[in-house]
Amino acid sequence: MTQSGHPRLAIKGLTKSFGGVRALSRADLTVMPGEIHGLLGKNGSGKSTLIKVLSGFHKPDEGTLEVDGRPVALPIPLGRSETIGLSFVHQNLGLLPEATVLENLIAGDHERVRSWLINWGAEAARARRLLAEHRLDVDPSWPVENLSPVKRAQLAIVRAADRVSAHNAHGSPGLLVLDEPTPFLPIEDVRELFSLMRRLRQSGVSIVFVSHDIDEVMEITDRATVLRDGEVIGAFDTAATDRASIVEAIVGRSLTQERLVGDAAPQAAAAISVRRLGGGLLTDLDIDVAPGEILGLTGLIGSGYDDVSYLISGARPAMSGELAIGGDRFDLTDFSPVAAIAAGVAFIPADRQRQGLALELTLAENAMLPDAVSGRGRWRLDHKGRGAATAQLIERYVVKARSPDQAASELSGGNQQKLLLGKWLRLAPRLILLDEPTQGIDVGARREIYDRLLEACASGAAIICATSEFEQLEMIAHRVLVFERGRIKAELRGGDVRKSMIEQACYGEARDHAFV
Amino acid sequence: MRSSSLGVQLERFGLVIVWLAVIALFGALRPDTFLTWSNFSSIFGSEAVLVIVTLGLIIPLTAGDFDLSIAQTLTFVSMLTAILNARLGVPIEYVIPIGLLAGALVGVVNGAITLFFRVHSLIVTLGVGTFLHGITLWMSDSQTISGVERALMNYVIIYRIFGIPVSFYYAIALAALVWYVLSYTAFGQQLLFTGRGREIGRLTGVAVGRVRLAAFVASGVMGAIAGVIYTGTTGSANPTSGTTLLLPAFAAAFLGATCIKPGRFNAWGSVVAVYFLVTGINGLSVLGFRTFVHDLFYGGALVVAVMVSQLVSGRKERAL
Repeated sequence: MTQSGHPRLAIKGLTKSFGGVRALSRADLTVMPGEIHGLLGKNGSGKSTLIKVLSGFHKPDEGTLEVDGRPVALPIPLGRSETIGLSFVHQNLGLLPEATVLENLIAGDHERVRSWLINWGAEAARARRLLAEHRLDVDPSWPVENLSPVKRAQLAIVRAADRVSAHNAHGSPGLLVLDEPTPFLPIEDVRELFSLMRRLRQSGVSIVFVSHDIDEVMEITDRATVLRDGEVIGAFDTAATDRASIVEAIVGRSLTQERLVGDAAPQAAAAISVRRLGGGLLTDLDIDVAPGEILGLTGLIGSGYDDVSYLISGARPAMSGELAIGGDRFDLTDFSPVAAIAAGVAFIPADRQRQGLALELTLAENAMLPDAVSGRGRWRLDHKGRGAATAQLIERYVVKARSPDQAASELSGGNQQKLLLGKWLRLAPRLILLDEPTQGIDVGARREIYDRLLEACASGAAIICATSEFEQLEMIAHRVLVFERGRIKAELRGGDVRKSMIEQACYGEARDHAFV
Repeated sequence: MRSSSLGVQLERFGLVIVWLAVIALFGALRPDTFLTWSNFSSIFGSEAVLVIVTLGLIIPLTAGDFDLSIAQTLTFVSMLTAILNARLGVPIEYVIPIGLLAGALVGVVNGAITLFFRVHSLIVTLGVGTFLHGITLWMSDSQTISGVERALMNYVIIYRIFGIPVSFYYAIALAALVWYVLSYTAFGQQLLFTGRGREIGRLTGVAVGRVRLAAFVASGVMGAIAGVIYTGTTGSANPTSGTTLLLPAFAAAFLGATCIKPGRFNAWGSVVAVYFLVTGINGLSVLGFRTFVHDLFYGGALVVAVMVSQLVSGRKERAL
C-alpha cells in the first residue's frame, strides 16, 4: 500500500567521489507518486552517477534513499532494484533483437518464471494481456528486430513497468527510470512514447525521465531537477517555468578558454564542399570548409553531427551527397576509404581500439600501413626505412614510446592518438576529419594534439572536427556548426565561438538562431 | 631496444630448445634406432607434406580466416593426379598444373562463399572440405589408385641431397617464400591488418575482401602442391589418408605461432613446430608406443599451444 503523502522516491544528500573528484555533491531528488520528473544536465553533470547509484552500480559516499516512505539501505544490491519498486530502461533498451517479444518480456524474470519449465501458453496469454493493457500493437511471437524503433522503446518501457508491478514487495506502482530513450526517435514517434508515459502516470506509476532535450522535458514532465557539476541547481515546476531559465540552470556561467586560433576565419575561397549529404541521421546537408580552417561540428546526442565524418570519408556509404575537393568531384553514395585517401582525405575515428590502431601490432606497422597500401616498395618492404620513418614520427608527434617495434597496446591513450595523428598527417592530407579527437586523453596530450592540428592547418589543410566538448571548440575552431535532428541549427563564427554560445545554441530553440 | 634480452630470445627459440631436448632424450634412450641419419632423413622427407599444409594454413589464419578444407584439397588433388596420370595417361607435366589450378579453384569457392554470403570461414571450409572428400571417394570408387609415373617419385622422394629427399627442400623453399611474403611485402602487411584490425585496414584503404580471397586461393594452391607431393611420395593416391593431416597442421600452425616470431603465425615457426611434433611421435613409436600416440600428441600439442599463446598475450596485457 502506498502511504499517502510520502514521495515515491526521496534522495537526500547523495554524495559520490571518484578518486578525489566529486561527481555528486549532496544531491537531493524527490519524485511524487504518479509524477513524471525530468532529470537534466550536461555531460558530466552527475546525472549518470545518480542513476547508477539508484540501480546499485555505485556505492555512494553519503546520502539516504526512501521509497514510499520506507528507508532503503545503500548500496542497493545489484538486480534487486525491482523488489524495492525501481526499474530502469537504458538508452540501448536491453532487448535482444533476434529473440521474440515474448522471449524478451520474460528474459531474466527469474522471480516469476520457473527456470526449469516455462509454460509458454500461459506466458503468451499473459504477454498479450499486458501488451493490450498498454495499447502496444505487437504480437508476442514477433521478433523484436522486426519492430520499429519506437515500438522497441515502448516494449522496453512496458517490460520495466511490468517488472515493478509484479515484484514490488510493497505493492505500489513503482518508479521507472527512462535514461535517454528518445534521441534517435523522430518527433512523431516521441509523441507516441509520451502517450504511453502519460497512461503509466495515470495508473500511478512515477517516471524519472532523463533527457538532453529541453523541449521534450517541458512537454512531458510535471517537474524537473537540473544538475550541474554534481550539484542540484534546482527543482522546477515545468508548467510554471520558462525555457530560458532552465537553459541557464543547465549551462551556468562558463569560464572562457584560451583561444588558440584567431577569430577571423581564413579568407581563401572554399575549396572543399559537401552538397546534399544524407545518411545516418542526416538529410540534405551542405558544408563548406576552406584550406587553413578548422570547422567544428557539434550538437546534443542524436543530433547527427558525428555522422558527417564517417559519410565523407567513405567509412560508411552515404544515402546521397557529393564531395568537391580541389576541383575533383566524388559521388558519396559510391565512395570508399581508398578513394577518399587518394583524394587527400584523412579520417581519424573516435573508436581508437577498433578503428584506429591494431593494438597487437607494432607502432611501425600501424604508422606505416598507408605505405603498405599505396604500393611504394610493394615487393620489398624496407624495414629499416619504415623503422626510421616511425622513429621520426614518434619524435615529431612527441609520442612517449620505447621503440618502433613495440606493440601499440603498450602506449597510453594520448600517445596512441598522437601516433594515429602522425600516421595520417604524414600523408599531407587536404582534408582532415576528426571524430572526438581527445576522448579519454589527458590535458597535456590534448594540448600537443591541438598544436599538431594547428600546424597542419597552417600548412593549408582543412580540418573538420566533430566533438561533444565545447571547450575544445572554443580553443581550436574558427567556425562551429551546431546540429539538431540531422540538420544544421546554428552557425557560430569568430568571436561567437565560445563555450557559452555553443551551449546556448545547443539547448536553445532553433528560432533564437536565425543566422543559419 | 631491449629485444636482445635473454627472456625475449628464450621465448623466440624456446620451441627449438625443447625440440633439441626431445631429440637428446630419445637419442639417449634409443641411440641405435632413433639417432640415425636414415631415421632423420626419412622424417624430414616424409613430413614435407605436413610442412606445406601448415604453411598453407597460416596464410588465411593471418588474415583471420580458417581453411578447414585444406587437407581435403590435398587428398582431392592427390587423387586427381593419380587418376589423370595412371588411369587416363595424361603426362605428369600437364597433370601438375591442372592439380594446382584445381586447388586455386577450391580457394576461390571458399573465398567467394565466405565473402559474398558473409558466412564464417570455419563453416564454409568445413562444408567445402567434406564435399571435396565426397568427390574424392566417388571418383576413386574408394580405392587406392597406384601406378603413377616414376618421374614424379624421382623428383619427390627418390632423389636426395645430403641424403634427404628433395621434397624436404621444396618445403623449405616454400617456407622461405611464405616467410618473405609475410614479412617483406606490402601484401604481408595487408594480410596482417586484415586479420588483426580489419576495420583499421579497411579505413586505411586495404581491400580486405580481395586480401581474404587471395589468402584462400593461396592456401588452396598450397594444399594442391602438398597433394601432388603426397602422390609422389608413394606413387599412389589413397582417398582417406590425407584427412588425418588437418589436426597436425593446425597444431603446428598454433605451436609455430609461439616461437621465432611469437604472437604471429610465421613460416619458420611452423617448420620448427612440424618437425618438433613429428620427432616426438617418431621417438615415441621407436620406444614401442602404438598409433594412439599420434592423437595424444597432436591433440595435446594444439591445446597446449593455444594455452601458451593466451598466457603470453595475457601477460603482455597485464604488464600495461
